[in-house]
Amino acid sequence: MAAPILLTESLNLFYGNFQALKNVNLSVAGRRITSIIGPSGCGKSTLLRVFNRMNDLVEGARVTGRVLLDGEDIYAPGTDLLSLRKKVGMVFQRPNPFPISVFENILFGLRVHQLAGKSKDRLREIVKESLESVLLWEDLKDRLNGLATNLSLEQQQRICIARLFVVRPEVLLMDEPCSALDPLATARIEELMQELKKNYTIVIVTHNMQQAARVSDDTGYMYLGELVEFGATQKIFTTPRDKRTEDYITGRAG
Amino acid sequence: MPSGRKLKEIFFETAIRASGVASIFIVGLIFFFLFKEGIMLFQTQKLSGFLFGKNWYPISEPGEFGILPLISGTILVTLGAAVLSVPLGIAAAIYIAEVAPPQSKEILKSGVELLAAIPSVVLGFIGIVTVVPWIKNTFHAPTGLTAFAGAVVLAFMAMPTIVSIAEDALYSVPKTYKEGAYALGATQWQTIWRVVLPAASSGIVAAVMLGIGRVVGETMAVMMVTGNSPSMPRGIFYPVRTLTATIAAEMGETVRGSDHYFSLFAIGIVLFVITFAVNMTADLVVHRKRK
Ligand SMILES: Nc1ncnc2c1ncn2[C@@H]1O[C@H](COP(=O)(O)OP(=O)(O)OP(=O)(O)O)[C@@H](O)[C@H]1O
Ligand SMILES: [Mg+2]
Repeated sequence: MAAPILLTESLNLFYGNFQALKNVNLSVAGRRITSIIGPSGCGKSTLLRVFNRMNDLVEGARVTGRVLLDGEDIYAPGTDLLSLRKKVGMVFQRPNPFPISVFENILFGLRVHQLAGKSKDRLREIVKESLESVLLWEDLKDRLNGLATNLSLEQQQRICIARLFVVRPEVLLMDEPCSALDPLATARIEELMQELKKNYTIVIVTHNMQQAARVSDDTGYMYLGELVEFGATQKIFTTPRDKRTEDYITGRAG
Repeated sequence: MPSGRKLKEIFFETAIRASGVASIFIVGLIFFFLFKEGIMLFQTQKLSGFLFGKNWYPISEPGEFGILPLISGTILVTLGAAVLSVPLGIAAAIYIAEVAPPQSKEILKSGVELLAAIPSVVLGFIGIVTVVPWIKNTFHAPTGLTAFAGAVVLAFMAMPTIVSIAEDALYSVPKTYKEGAYALGATQWQTIWRVVLPAASSGIVAAVMLGIGRVVGETMAVMMVTGNSPSMPRGIFYPVRTLTATIAAEMGETVRGSDHYFSLFAIGIVLFVITFAVNMTADLVVHRKRK
C-alpha cells in the first residue's frame, strides 16, 4: 500500500462529556476510495468532520490524538484552517448549493481564497472544466446564471462536487452523498466517483453497504465510536475478522 | 346528520372566512370614505395644482392647495431616515444573528424590542431635548427643528422593525449553506457576505420596506421635531413639514365641508398611495427573489 495521505493516531473526540470517537487509528491511502460504514450514531460523520476540522464549529467538541494529512498534524497549533479546508473538500448529505447562480457557486472557492482575479473568459473556462468533470456542462451551459437551488437534487449534488475542484483539493470527503438521490442518480454519482478517484483521494460515509461494496477500495466498520475493523473492501465483505463486523454485514445487527 | 367534529370544523371555517372577509371589507370602507371626501377637493381645484403646486396656504382667501412642499418634506425626512437606519439596522441584525455570543444576543434582542415599545411621542420629546439642540450647535443652523432632526428621530423608529425582521431572515438561513461555505475554507465574514446575505435578501428587503413604511406613516414624533414649515424645503438642515404632520396639525381647525377639509383627505389619499407603492415594491422584490 502506498504512503497514507490521511492518518489518525489514537484519535479521540468528545462532545462535552460524551465520547464520540474512541481511539481511532485509520490510514487512508491516496487515490483510492475509502468507505466508512456502521450503524446510525456510531460516529461516521464525526470522523469525517475531523478531517476538515468542521467539528471546530461545534461548541464543546474536543479532540485528542493526532491526525496527519500528508504527514502534517492538522490539529497542531497554528494550523491554517482555511487552507486545510481548501485541501480537504466536503460534500454533504443534503445537497447544499448556495442560493446564488450556478456560475458563482462554482467560483465560490476561488473567490473566498482570492484566486479569482482573472479575466471573464478565463473564469468561464474554469466553470466549464469544473462542470465538465461532473458531466453537467452540456445540461447547464445555457443556464449558468440561473439559481443553483432550482436544479434537480442530483444536479445540485453534482454542483456541490464541482465547486470543490476549482481550489484543487487533494481529498474529497463525502457524507452520505447519495442518500437524498434516487437509485439512478445514485448509480451515476457512483460512476462519477470512479472517475474522480484518478485524481483525488475520496473518503465516503455511507449507510448503504452495497454502495460501500460497489465503490470503495478500502472499508472501515465503525461501532459505537470505535473503528472495529479496517481493510480492503473485498476482505471486509467476504472474510471479516471481527464478529461485530460480520453481524453487521450479514444484517444481524445495526 | 353531521357529527360534532364536523360541525366544529364548519364553525371554525366559517369564522375564519368571516374575519378574512371583514378585514377586506373594512379596508375597502376606509378607502371609500377617504376617496369620497378627498375627491371633493377637485370640484374647485386642479389635480396638477394640488400635486405640483408650491404653495400651501389653505386658509387664505382664496386658498392655495399645493402639496409639493409637503411631499418633498416627507421624501426628504424619509430618505434621511432610511440612509441612517438601513445600514445601521442591517449591520445590527447581522451582528445579532451571526456574530454576537449567545448571552449578549438575548440582551440585544430585548433591547431592540424595548426600542420598539417607546411611544412615538416620547421619542419626539427626547428628540426635542437632545437631537434638536445638538443639530443647532453642531451645524450652526438657525434652528435645530429641521428635516434632519426628523430623519434622526424616525431612524430610531425604523430601526427596531428593520433589525428584528432582518434578524429573523438571517436566522432562518439554513445551517447547511453556512457549513458548505466554511467547508470550502470561507471565513466568517465571507460566509456572511457571500452566502448568508444573498440567502436572506428577500427578507432583508421586506425588513427595509416595512421600516420605511413605518417612517412614511409616522406623525407625532416628526411633527415635534421638524419645525412645521410648509414651504419648499431648501435642504436637510431647514424646517419642513410632512404630509402626515399636516393632516394632524390642521384637521382640528378646519371647517367641515370646506376646501381645506377636503384637501386634508386628498393628502390622505396621497399617503395611502405612497404607502401602497412601498408595500407593492416590497412584495414584488420578495416574489421575484423567490422565483
Ligand atoms: N454536535 C453534537 N453534540 C453532541 N453530540 C453529538 C453532536 N453531533 C453528533 N453527536 C453524537 O455523536 C454520536 C455520533 O454522531 P455522528 O453524527 O457522527 O453519527 P453517524 O455515524 O454519522 O450517524 P448517522 O448514520 O445517523 O449519520 C451520536 O451519538 C450523536 O448523537
Ligand atoms: Mg452521519
